[in-house]
Order: sequence, then structure tokens, then C-alpha cells
Amino acid sequence: MLLFALLISIAFGFLSRRRPMERVKYIAWSLLLFLLFGIGIGWAMYPFSR
Amino acid sequence: MSDQAENVVVPSPDKAREARAIAIGVAGWVVPGLGHALQKMWGRALTFFVVVGVLVIVGAGMRGNLFGSEGGDAFAALGYFADLGTGSFYWLAKYIEVGGPDVSHAYGDYGTRFLAAAGVLNLLAALHAYEAARGRKA
Repeated sequence: MLLFALLISIAFGFLSRRRPMERVKYIAWSLLLFLLFGIGIGWAMYPFSR
Repeated sequence: MSDQAENVVVPSPDKAREARAIAIGVAGWVVPGLGHALQKMWGRALTFFVVVGVLVIVGAGMRGNLFGSEGGDAFAALGYFADLGTGSFYWLAKYIEVGGPDVSHAYGDYGTRFLAAAGVLNLLAALHAYEAARGRKA
């Protein structure tokens, strides 16, 4: 999940931003949100796992 | 001037630009990053080549399902469309995945998502290269 989130974040950052600093910020933010949502959804599904 | 010279059809700059943009879009689809490289956007070109390449290599290495044209249902057709989005890397994935897909384990299922994401991402990049060539965004 980490590798997937990192690769997609990098691609989105380069796709949507032009300046290097903006790209870095965008990549960091989207990576953080990917991970937070992934872990959050994982915990949300936990009660239904058994 | 002679009549012959007047009859020569010169494509308008808009049509020539549109044709070039389409060619760049198709090039970006066939080889990830090539559409941007042709416009000298080196950072984006390298990024898309590496990101799509890594997603395909990891996805195929995990023995993800690489859909073929003989799918049968709508999901298989969508999967084939997504996988085909990787362009020439579709055959690279086929070459890597000599043992065929194995989705009986979680790894294979993850690999299927990696391959589909690579294809959709490359289609997005090719569309971006096409739009940039038309002068709409950069």
C-alpha cells in the first residue's frame, strides 16, 4: 500500500503541479491522505471481518 | 501565379497542431512518458516512464491478472481496457508473467490493481500530453 500510494502521489504531483516546491507539497499531502484513508478504511472494516 | 499553385491545399495551423497533438497523445500511450518527452517536458516524461514501469513490473511480479481480449463479461472488458492503457508495457507484463496470473493469494489480487492503476495512469498522462500539445495546459 505504501509503495502504491507513493508512486501514485508522485505521478499526480508531476501531473498537476509545475513548480518543484508545489510538487513536493502536493506529493507529501496526497501520500499522507492516501495512507490515512487506507488505514482508516481498514479500521472501519475491522468489526465486519469476522 | 499559375492555377496549379492556387490549388495546393495547405493545412491550416490549427489542423496541423491538432494532428501533432493527436500523434503526441498516441506516442504517450504507446511508450509511457514519450508524449511529454517530445515536448521537452523531461521531468514529467521520466516520472511517468518510471512510475508506470515500476507499477507494471511489481504488478506482474506479484502475478496479477493481466486481462486478455477474450474476457467474456463487462468487468473483464474494463480490465482489458485498463491493462491496455499501459501501451507497449502490456507486452512487458506478459513477458514477465511467464507463470500466468495467480489470484488465489492476496499478492495476486494486489498485482491486478497495480497493473490496472498503471494503465489508467498512463492514459491520464497521454491525455495530459495531448492537452499540453494543444496548448490548453502545461
